[in-house]
Amino acid sequence: MLKCSLCGRRAVYDRRYAGVLLCDRCLAKSVESRFRRAISEHKLLSPGERVAVAISGGKDSIVCLHLLADYCRWRNCKLVAITVDEGIKGYRDRSLPIARENAELLGVEHFVVSFRDAFGATLDRIVQLARRRRTGLNPCTYCGVMRRSLLNQAARELGADKLATAHNLDDEVQAIMLNYVRADLSRLHRLGPIYSPREGFVPRIKPLREIPEKEIALYALLRGLKVHLDTCPYAGGIHIEIRDFLNKLEANHPNTKFMILRMFDRLKPELTRCTPRFEVKMCELCGEPTSTNICKACELLKQLGLSKRRKRLIC
Amino acid sequence: MPRIVVRVKVFGQRRDRRLFLPARARVLDLLERLGYNPQVVVVRRNGKVVVEEEGLASGDVIEIIPVVTGG
Ligand SMILES: [Zn+2]
Ligand SMILES: [Zn+2]
Repeated sequence: MLKCSLCGRRAVYDRRYAGVLLCDRCLAKSVESRFRRAISEHKLLSPGERVAVAISGGKDSIVCLHLLADYCRWRNCKLVAITVDEGIKGYRDRSLPIARENAELLGVEHFVVSFRDAFGATLDRIVQLARRRRTGLNPCTYCGVMRRSLLNQAARELGADKLATAHNLDDEVQAIMLNYVRADLSRLHRLGPIYSPREGFVPRIKPLREIPEKEIALYALLRGLKVHLDTCPYAGGIHIEIRDFLNKLEANHPNTKFMILRMFDRLKPELTRCTPRFEVKMCELCGEPTSTNICKACELLKQLGLSKRRKRLIC
Repeated sequence: MPRIVVRVKVFGQRRDRRLFLPARARVLDLLERLGYNPQVVVVRRNGKVVVEEEGLASGDVIEIIPVVTGG
């Protein structure tokens, strides 16, 4: 039996990037303290603030919900949860009840906003239309843009000071690499523990940003949290290739992911300096904040012959 | 060469299988044989989460839980 390097109990995890074996308790303690450290170090939350957390029902967002619930009780913050129901048959309909169940368990108010209500079409339908019209855009583009837009709007309507998302170390490093590969400087400089664009946008925070995906999964498993573990049927393409590439690097060269993250964080102030600030306008079609005349979500919808149907998401 | 036999279940797959491995095989060797990167799975040996360096014994029941779901 292999033992925990810190306390000698039975090890459950080999944290190779730090050269230690950890037991269930020491791993849980470490995950919790990294979460709190991220919040204090980057000033993600202040006492008394109102926080909206995006939850899908997957392991990352459920762990984020539980950790935030503890934190908010301690720091007197008010927590609400938002789930975006994109309308992905056989996937989101299975994770949504798990999201609801966890929120109920913690006594956190939970709101569901759906693509169908907001845009008159599910993601499944949108993907179908995009294929028919040969837009050449993949499902993740539609999903990402529209989900971000709905999350921001819902959080704003709920009066949230911050919008927390469950991006973990792996997600963040993948996003860094993806924006490098695509040479997308404006997306690249938005990455980081907190992004507060401008008026009309709720500042987004990522308290799990320095926790590897596997540690979050283990934490969920060891704490016995109920989570949804399936894979999105639309996952594919370059995202997956970058993910697999990074995992291979990490397996052969432990600590690679943290090194990429640290390097990015060092470069970030320079990136921000050379990225022009945009002027905030109101989308001519839906009224949401945007840097262009028509927001990205409306632009994508328009191509498909759709439009935003509802002004207000939360009644 | 003496060999051991373990039963392997992958979370989300219906069928389990028996696998023959060298006598001193570790969890890591089993993952390698099946093509899993340890980064993306959690392994339970006889119901308990184990580290990949842990050795295997004949009759072990190994559960592989893919945890990198992407989305
Ligand atoms: Zn320990
Ligand atoms: Zn718009």
